[in-house]
Amino acid sequence: MTTRRAFISKSLGVAILGGTMPSFLATAAGAQALPALGSTIDPGNVLLVIQMGGGNDGLNTVVPYTDDAYHRVRPTIGIAENTILKINDRIGLNPALTGLDALYKDGRVAIVQGVGYPNPNRSHFEATQIWETASPDRPTATGWLGRYLDRTVAQTPVDVSDTARLFPAVSLGDTVPAALVSQHVDVPAIGALGTYGLNAGRDTASKQTAGVLYDGARPGQSPYLGMIERTARNAMHGGDVLKAKIASYVPAAEYPKDNFAQQLRLAAQIVGSRVGTRIIFVSIGSFDTHAGQRTQQDRLLGYLGNGLRAFYTDLAAHALAESVLAMTFSEFGRRVAQNASNGTDHGTAMPLFVVGGKVKGGVYGEHPSLTDLDRGDLRHATDFRSVYATVLQKWLGRDSTGVLAGSFDTVAFV
Amino acid sequence: MKLDTSTDPQVGYRPPGTLDIASALARYDGPFTKRHAAHLLRRAAFGGTATEVDTSASFGMMGAVDALLHPARADLAFSDFPDVASLYDQKNRNAVAQMWWLDRMLRTQHPLAEKIAFLWHGHFATSIRKVPAPLMIAQIDMFRQLGLGNFRTLLLAVAQNPAMLVWLDNRANNKAHPNENFAREVMELFALGLGNYTEDDIKNAARAFTGWTLDATQNFVYRPNQHDDGPKSFLGTTGNLTGEDVIATIVKAPIHQRFICRKLLEFFVYSDPEPELIDALSQTYALSGYDVAHTVATIFRSNVFYSPRAYRAIPKSPVEFVVGLLRFMDVAEVPKDTPYWLARMGQDLLAPPSVKGWDGGPTWINTSTMLARFNYINRIVKAAPPRATAPPMSTTTAIALGTFPALTPDRIVARAGGIDADRVLATLVSDAVQDDTTSDVRKTLAAYLQSANATIPTPLSPENYQEKIRGALALTLQLPANQLN
Repeated sequence: MTTRRAFISKSLGVAILGGTMPSFLATAAGAQALPALGSTIDPGNVLLVIQMGGGNDGLNTVVPYTDDAYHRVRPTIGIAENTILKINDRIGLNPALTGLDALYKDGRVAIVQGVGYPNPNRSHFEATQIWETASPDRPTATGWLGRYLDRTVAQTPVDVSDTARLFPAVSLGDTVPAALVSQHVDVPAIGALGTYGLNAGRDTASKQTAGVLYDGARPGQSPYLGMIERTARNAMHGGDVLKAKIASYVPAAEYPKDNFAQQLRLAAQIVGSRVGTRIIFVSIGSFDTHAGQRTQQDRLLGYLGNGLRAFYTDLAAHALAESVLAMTFSEFGRRVAQNASNGTDHGTAMPLFVVGGKVKGGVYGEHPSLTDLDRGDLRHATDFRSVYATVLQKWLGRDSTGVLAGSFDTVAFV
Repeated sequence: MKLDTSTDPQVGYRPPGTLDIASALARYDGPFTKRHAAHLLRRAAFGGTATEVDTSASFGMMGAVDALLHPARADLAFSDFPDVASLYDQKNRNAVAQMWWLDRMLRTQHPLAEKIAFLWHGHFATSIRKVPAPLMIAQIDMFRQLGLGNFRTLLLAVAQNPAMLVWLDNRANNKAHPNENFAREVMELFALGLGNYTEDDIKNAARAFTGWTLDATQNFVYRPNQHDDGPKSFLGTTGNLTGEDVIATIVKAPIHQRFICRKLLEFFVYSDPEPELIDALSQTYALSGYDVAHTVATIFRSNVFYSPRAYRAIPKSPVEFVVGLLRFMDVAEVPKDTPYWLARMGQDLLAPPSVKGWDGGPTWINTSTMLARFNYINRIVKAAPPRATAPPMSTTTAIALGTFPALTPDRIVARAGGIDADRVLATLVSDAVQDDTTSDVRKTLAAYLQSANATIPTPLSPENYQEKIRGALALTLQLPANQLN
């Protein structure tokens, strides 16, 4: 078992800014609430969900490099054995995943192989809905994380000083993903901290006025009025509250400049400022590599791995690496055989990564066979709802049967 | 596997107070002020300028409803398709198609037909993310043509609509391999509601729709050799049923009449309508022979429609909010960034989140969507066109002048009768939200107009009225009343 200190020092290649943790952060970390007696689950645990949009090709992410069938069906886009970042004598990581490989060597990455579901859907839109609502059989309005929030966040009105209620979960993008759609919990979409708030231009008086405009404006009898007033008030103040809260968090790693890494930088600030956020949703794409796959996918996987390495280096320096579990997902993997454009078309099962200071690193599940196929596609080994059930029960401490409308086996990665 | 429906959210909140069912659908004969006219225009159209509201009020209730049902003039000449090539451009086609429809919503002289098309778009929710853009546009045209007519005709057209045949896979439904996707949704989501049919009904309906597919040019075609013409049993009817028979059987079912009347009441009157109200409207609908125009006209002339319980009782959808704002501000051309803002408000037009459409109601309201609405108001209301004396903009930075509001501070001053804070405020609050606010809010807005502050260091005056009035109008449009229909 790697200690936290070893985890920090062995996370290679990213400069840790400053030799020791600032004392106020050490205090904040030490003051973290203890888990309830009899429970091993820390109520401060945060889930970071990473959407790899467009359908990530699993076979060139976690490569079965010793399988002849792999090199046979991928004559030009197959990855040469001598460049693979080897995991074991069967599989290895895409060479662009050096950042993730460093975390793997620290024992902080679980690779869950062959994740999917029965009768897979190959439409981007429908498959994304299936993954985000965790409902393959019928359309459902709420997302799997939204239903978790509905069961854990009180329905009482939000006080604007209560950041745990203002930001129980955040989407670091312009919109709220289907996964976070809930019945009654407000999930802010924060594309960038600077633009999360009222933009009144130079007219600061207009902004001040707007801040006091939502008290007691009651035409008619609409039951929606109070809801609109409260929401508007929270919206007017929430951005300022969040900015003030996270101002004192100093990132302790050099993040890459790309948009994904910058989302992770903000995620670390939110985690480190202890505003009470349990779920953070980020996305990276597009992995829809129908043509010229190697260049595009390798670039994106580089962003993924390097961003995560910076993120966990930063968190580790703040003694928070054990507080965040990150998991990836994508709406589908891609076809086993490459197409005529040096790309791959829409397929089925793929590997997921689960990363974090408390994750039991290793490989979970069997790699799907490349020869025993279902109409040319991989057969899934692990239902994606098993991964969700694991995260819900063993990381967020919540029974998953209601959220997932069924009972699913858990995976041992945490 | 047993389906779990407990994860679906409630539809919305019924207003407090009690319904007088005896008079609910009887003709309203109370006063018809500009508040009533604005209410009618918000619900049955996409709102209007202050002058248009005044005009509608002057017609009286019956005249105002007739003007919507039977527009005196032919509509403007709209082109059938936007630039067709752009519809095949993967990157921009969604925005191109959205802009085409938003432009129509903004400028049409027949707004009820457009509003009905918008209603059916949300009901028969089909998405451009799966369906080619030209088929989506043709589907919206079909809603526009048939949306106010006979519902059986509409439902048959939907079943044979190329966009729908792609969306719910009926093009792949044939005798050898039945595909139940459309058969299931036509009952669950389009016409009957969950629990009002059996799995056998779905199987038999799917068989009846076999052979309804697309030809090589993406037009509907019936292929008899793919059709299962064996005996079928559907909702108690037995025989060699065709797709047409299934549609006719669905529409005749009393549960369908309640299902569709509930939908119309939710869209036009208020959320979660009382069962008695649904039953009363169902009788109107059935007696009319499933005539949508007759049914919605009954609503627009009814006591319940003009009751305080229905007034500002439904959150505006983002599309209604945006088009309403552009119409009120008298903007001639939809600004090109509008689809981006709509997505941030939670409504990607032509791309509903699933076959269930948008849930609407309380789900439109959260901190992010409210900020998007407020910032869109600021973006529209505070945009001032370049002064005539300014040097011409380069072609790369030129902004279409039509996207600037014709509702200028000068026009507001003219309506108010001078640059006077009290008069300007009274005009703003009356025109923008029909006085639906409180004296406290008026005081706050007056303070904004009259206070010296860092950005505009003097009270309202001929020197600063442009900026001050734009600011005060933006604040007025942010009020909760303007988030409600």
